[in-house]
Amino acid sequence: MRDRTPFEPVIQLRHLSDDTKQRIFDAALQVLADVGASVSHPEGVELLVRSGCTLDDSGLLRVPPSAVERALSTVPSSFALYDRSGSQAMTLGGNNVYFGTGSDLMWQYDVETGEHRPSGLDDIARVARVCDGLPNIDFVMSGAYPTDLGPQGVYLATFLTMMRNTTKPLVLVAENEVDLGAIIDTAADLRGGAERLREAPYLLAYVEPVSPLLHPRESIAKLLLCADAGVPVAYVPAPLAGATSPISSGGHVVQGMAECLLGLVVHQLRAPGAPFMFGVNQGSLDMVSGQPSYTAIESFMNYLTIVEMAKWLRLPNWGISGCTDSQAIDAQLGLEVAELTLLSMLLGSNLNHDVGFMGFGLTGSLEEIVITDEFVSMNKKLLSGVPAEDLDLAVEAIAGVGPKGHYLGHPHTRAHLRKGPGQWRPGLLNRDNRDRWVEAGSVDLREKARRKALAILQTDPPAPLDPGLLQRADARMNTLRRETV
Amino acid sequence: MADYADLMQNVEGGKKDLVMTQVAQFLSEGRPPQEVLQEGLIAAMDAVGAKMESEEMFIPEVLRAAKTMEAGLEILQPHLAVGDVTVSGTVLIGTVKGDLHDIGKNLVAMLLSSAGFKVIDLGINVEPRSFAAKVEETGADFIGLSALLTTTMPMMEQTLEALETAGLRGRVRVLVGGAPVTQAWADQIGADGYASDAGAAIKVAKELGAVSS
Ligand code: B12
Repeated sequence: MRDRTPFEPVIQLRHLSDDTKQRIFDAALQVLADVGASVSHPEGVELLVRSGCTLDDSGLLRVPPSAVERALSTVPSSFALYDRSGSQAMTLGGNNVYFGTGSDLMWQYDVETGEHRPSGLDDIARVARVCDGLPNIDFVMSGAYPTDLGPQGVYLATFLTMMRNTTKPLVLVAENEVDLGAIIDTAADLRGGAERLREAPYLLAYVEPVSPLLHPRESIAKLLLCADAGVPVAYVPAPLAGATSPISSGGHVVQGMAECLLGLVVHQLRAPGAPFMFGVNQGSLDMVSGQPSYTAIESFMNYLTIVEMAKWLRLPNWGISGCTDSQAIDAQLGLEVAELTLLSMLLGSNLNHDVGFMGFGLTGSLEEIVITDEFVSMNKKLLSGVPAEDLDLAVEAIAGVGPKGHYLGHPHTRAHLRKGPGQWRPGLLNRDNRDRWVEAGSVDLREKARRKALAILQTDPPAPLDPGLLQRADARMNTLRRETV
Repeated sequence: MADYADLMQNVEGGKKDLVMTQVAQFLSEGRPPQEVLQEGLIAAMDAVGAKMESEEMFIPEVLRAAKTMEAGLEILQPHLAVGDVTVSGTVLIGTVKGDLHDIGKNLVAMLLSSAGFKVIDLGINVEPRSFAAKVEETGADFIGLSALLTTTMPMMEQTLEALETAGLRGRVRVLVGGAPVTQAWADQIGADGYASDAGAAIKVAKELGAVSS
C-alpha cells in the first residue's frame, strides 16, 4: 500500500479548558484509587498488587495515582501500523486521522438485492475488498460476523478472510487469548517471525472490559498477550450512559477512563513502552425504549470529551465515524454519518472505526462505507484549510482580467484546476442539473454508492497469499477447533 | 369505591415510605387486602406501564415505581391468602454461558417484575446445568435465556438439552431473546417463546402462561 502522508486537520475542535480536563482526569484517578475495580485474572491481579495496587477482602482492586502516572510515562504517544506487505501505512497519534470499518455485524443489507439478511463469511470478504478499493479507508475491521460458520475458530477464519481480501492494516476482535494467539502467530508467519511482527505490526487488537468496572479474565489475558507480542492493543470499554455508566457526560467519561486506564497500567507493567491505544466508546441507552444508541446527540458530547482527554494525555485514541442508528440507507444515515465523521476529523481523532454500521451496531451496509469514503475525501480538502503562507491572492490575475472579463480563459485558472485552490471532484454527489440527472436515470446517492461498491467487487483481488502460510494457518485452525470443542 | 388515586400517585412517584404507611392505613381501616392490591398497587403499575408506552415515564422512573410497589406488597403480603397474590409466575432469567452482556437481560427482568412476575436473576455466564438445578430448587414456571453473541447462541440449545436431561423440560416455559436471536432460532431449538424487547417479553410470557395454569 502507498505510504501516504497522514491527514492532519488544520481546523481543529477543542472545547474543554485545561482545568476541566484536569478535573476529569483527577476524578478518574479517584475512582481507580477509592472505588477500585474487579479484575478476574489472577496473574494480572498479581502484577498489579506487586506494583503497589491493593486488593481488599471483597476482591476490589485499587490503583494508586502513582501507578497510573508511571504507566503514562512509559506508554508511547504514537505508534505505527503496517500493511500486509510490511510498509508503514498509519502513524497513530498526534492529530492524524484514519478511518475504517467496525466488526461483527450480524445482518447486512445485501448490496446486490437490497435484502436485509444474516451476515456470512462472504460478507467479510466483500467488506475487505470494497475497503481495499477505497482510498480514504485506511484500516479494516471485519464488518460482519460469519453466522454461516460454527462458533469454533470464527475469529481466526474472519482474520484469514480479511487478509486474503485486503492489503490494508487490520483491527481485530478475538474471543480469548487462545484464538488471538493463533491470529498473532499467523501474522508473525506472514512477516517471517515474531520479531518482524513486533517491528512492523500488521494488526491492532480491540479488547473491551465490561462496564461498570469489571475486567474479565479473557480481556486481561488478551491485553497481556498483546503486550508480550508487541502487538498494538486498544483497551476500550463501551459504557452505555444511564445504564452501565453515569448518564452525565462527565460521569460517563470518568468511569470509562478509569476502566481504560486500569488496562493501561497492567499493560505497561507487563511491557513498558508497548503500543497501547486509549479510548471509551460513547454509547448511551434511550431511557424510554431501552435501545442503545451510537449516535444520540448526548453520546456525541461524550465523544468530544473522550477525544479531548486522549489529546491531553498524549495518547493515540480510538474513535468512531461513518455510523448511524438508522435502519435504512436513507437521509438519516447520511446525516449521522456526516456529523460523526466530521467531528472525528475536526477533533484529530486517530483510529475511527465503525464505518458502515447501521441500526445500533447490528446491520452493515457497503453503500454506507462508500458514502463515508466520499465524505472523508471532500472534508480532507476543507480541513486542510486555506494555506496562510502560500495564500494565493491572485492580484495579478485580477489585474489581467479586469472589469467585464472572465477567468475561464485565464492561465491562473488553468494552472490551478488540479491543485491548490482547485476543485474537489465528487465521485458520488450529484452536481447535474435536472435534465441531465433525469436523462442519466435519476440515480440517487444510495444507488450510486451501490454501483461503486459493485464495481470495486469486479476488480482484481489482492495478490494471493503464500500457500504455505495458508496451510499453516489451516493447521492452527484445526488445533483451535479441537481445543474448543 | 375506595380512593386509591393518592396511593397510585405515590407508587408512580416512588414514595416508598408513604406507600408503606398508606397500605398499612388502608388495612387498619378494614379495606379488603385483595382490593388494596388490585385497585391500588396493581392498578398503579398498569398506569405506569401505560405512561412508559406513551413516553411520559422513563425506565429509571419505572424501575423506582416497581420497587415502591414491591415495598407496599410486603406490607400487604401477610394479609393475603395463598394464591391471592396473583403473581403471574416465577421466572428464572440469566445470560447464557460465555456471554457477559446483561443490560438487555436486566431490563427484561425489571419489566417482568413490574408486571407482577417473581423474577430470580442468575446473572451472566450461566451454565446450562445451573439453570436446570435452579428450576428444581425454585419450581420456576419460566426460564428466560439471553444471548448477545452469535457464538453463545448454541448455549441456549444446550440449556434446553440440560433441562431435557434433568427431566424438567415439560415443567417450564422457555423464552429466549437478545440481539442475534430471532423467532426462527427459537423455533429451531424448540423454545416456547421469543421476544425482541422487554415489552414484548411480558406479552409473550403472559400469553404463554405457566405450564400448570
Ligand atoms: C454494550 C455492549 C457490550 C458491553 C456489555 C456490557 C454489559 N454489561 O452488558 C461490553 C463492552 C462488555 C461488550 C463486550 C463484547 N461485545 Co458487545 N455489545 C454491546 C452493544 C453495543 C449493546 C448491547 C446492549 O446492551 N444493548 C441494550 C439492550 C437493552 O438491548 P439487548 O441486549 O438487545 O436486549 C433487548 C432485547 O434483545 C431483548 N432481550 C434480551 N435478552 C432477552 C432475554 C429474553 C428471555 C427475552 C425474552 C428478551 C431479551 O430485550 C432487551 C430489552 O429490550 C451491542 C450492540 C447491540 N446493538 O446489540 C454489542 C455486541 C452485542 N457486542 C459484540 C461483541 C463482538 C462483543 C465482544 C466480543 C467484543 C470484544 N472486542 O471483546 C465482547 C464480548 C464479551 C462477552 N464474552 O460477552 C457484537 C456481537 C456480534 C456477534 N455477531 O456476536 C455486538 C453486536 C456489537 C458489534 N457489532 O460488534 N459489549
